[in-house]
Amino acid sequence: MTAVRFFGEPPPTIVGDQLPGRLIVVEGTDGVGRSTYIALLKEWLEDRGVAVLDTGLTRSELAGPGIKRAKQGHTLDPFTLNLFYATDFWDRLERQIVPALRAGMVALADRYIFSLIARAAVRGVPLEWMENLYGFALVPDKVIYLDVDVEHLLPRVIGSTGFDYWESGQDFLRGPDVYHTFVEYQTRLLFEFRYLASRHQFGVIDARGSIPEVFRSIRFEIEPVIASMGADGVEPPRGRTNARPRGRVTT
Amino acid sequence: MTPFRSDELPGRLFIVEGIDGSGKSTQLDLLHKWLVSRGYLVVFSEWNSSPIVKGTTKRGKKRHLLSPVSFSLIHAADFANRIHAQILPALQAGAIVLADRYAYTAFARDAVRGVSRPWLHKLYSYAVRPTVAFYYDVPLDEAINRISEGRPTFKYYEAGMDLGLSDDPEESFRLYQALIQKEYEQMIDEFALVRMDATEPLVVQQRKMRDIVKPFLEGVKRADAGGVNEALREAGLKGRYLDEAARKKDVQA
Repeated sequence: MTAVRFFGEPPPTIVGDQLPGRLIVVEGTDGVGRSTYIALLKEWLEDRGVAVLDTGLTRSELAGPGIKRAKQGHTLDPFTLNLFYATDFWDRLERQIVPALRAGMVALADRYIFSLIARAAVRGVPLEWMENLYGFALVPDKVIYLDVDVEHLLPRVIGSTGFDYWESGQDFLRGPDVYHTFVEYQTRLLFEFRYLASRHQFGVIDARGSIPEVFRSIRFEIEPVIASMGADGVEPPRGRTNARPRGRVTT
Repeated sequence: MTPFRSDELPGRLFIVEGIDGSGKSTQLDLLHKWLVSRGYLVVFSEWNSSPIVKGTTKRGKKRHLLSPVSFSLIHAADFANRIHAQILPALQAGAIVLADRYAYTAFARDAVRGVSRPWLHKLYSYAVRPTVAFYYDVPLDEAINRISEGRPTFKYYEAGMDLGLSDDPEESFRLYQALIQKEYEQMIDEFALVRMDATEPLVVQQRKMRDIVKPFLEGVKRADAGGVNEALREAGLKGRYLDEAARKKDVQA
């Protein structure tokens, strides 16, 4: 990140217009495999001599515990929940991400404002309000978006954590059963993600492929960002990639 | 103009603003008792009181984790929760809501910390426009005199120590309150706050407050409080067990 840019008005406390590090975001819906790829990516970056900070939603010292407690109660309106998440986001931006970027590290973010905007949008929070709220967010150097369709998402979710209350939209959707609300919720969420992907020029990656395939595509997307830092031994990955910057998964 | 939503709700919303030591809470408390005694259904909402959010605010203050933006956001979260869980439903049901501090407190405190005003106004756009917003205006010295009695030390954020105005908490508090007062003064016209002279005798202030509130009470729902007394009178009873019944209700709630 050479020049510091924000989505909206610059916040009062992030000073200076140069940060030598890079901010890389991995976005994608629940169960798409973000944490696997982030784990691989972190190791790959460190092997090349790049120091990595990894961070993700609700991991702030300030608001993380409060959000987790609040979500157990299932009684939050979307505005309160979003402001809670915004507090958590800002605390991590200011006290984890920016210091890391200042020190020349790569900050690897598991989800960013886009997940929060997509979730809020399906719950009827005005986009304009969300975009004003997150005007203080740094524009990342790269957003990797792991795209998937519900059909391919289902077996992964069933095979791992099962249907979570929030991840199946049960806080606002009514349906005959959890399966149906999950499908309905994730379909709407993916629609929002794809809208954001084209609007903000995400590096869209088809996450339906095998793990080696997908990881190869991620590396391909990230390499130019890392190369400009002068990292050790960065070369283009061998083999075919399925990175599709403008592509969409269609069913 | 007000940045808030202006939908017509059956209830009424009266709020008080002012710097610490302006006596606004005392006046709102007197208004509260008066409205209740007249049989109105009244809901009272206090700053920083959301059961879901206030723990995090406390954590942030205790550990000095709050920067200008997180200070702003966590208070907005608390406020949003009270709006949606308490204030809005009460107004929709036709009750009177009294709020000790409202979005204007956030506007003043956050702007003083360097947060953008237009950003704040949009942030709070989900809030309900008050029926009347009172601003209790008091000279800074007078407010500080009132506060220093019986309050030996100021807390970190209360004194605005995070602004780095002074290393001395008392001096920092004074400078911080002066900045907030300036913000309030700018908002009086912008948001049509009703300025009240907080140096007048309490009784006079309260009479004026009631005079302003009265015209807005027409057609407002009253709580059905007379029923029990009527039943006692009719049947010649004393209501020996009513206190006990009320206590049980409290426990259930």
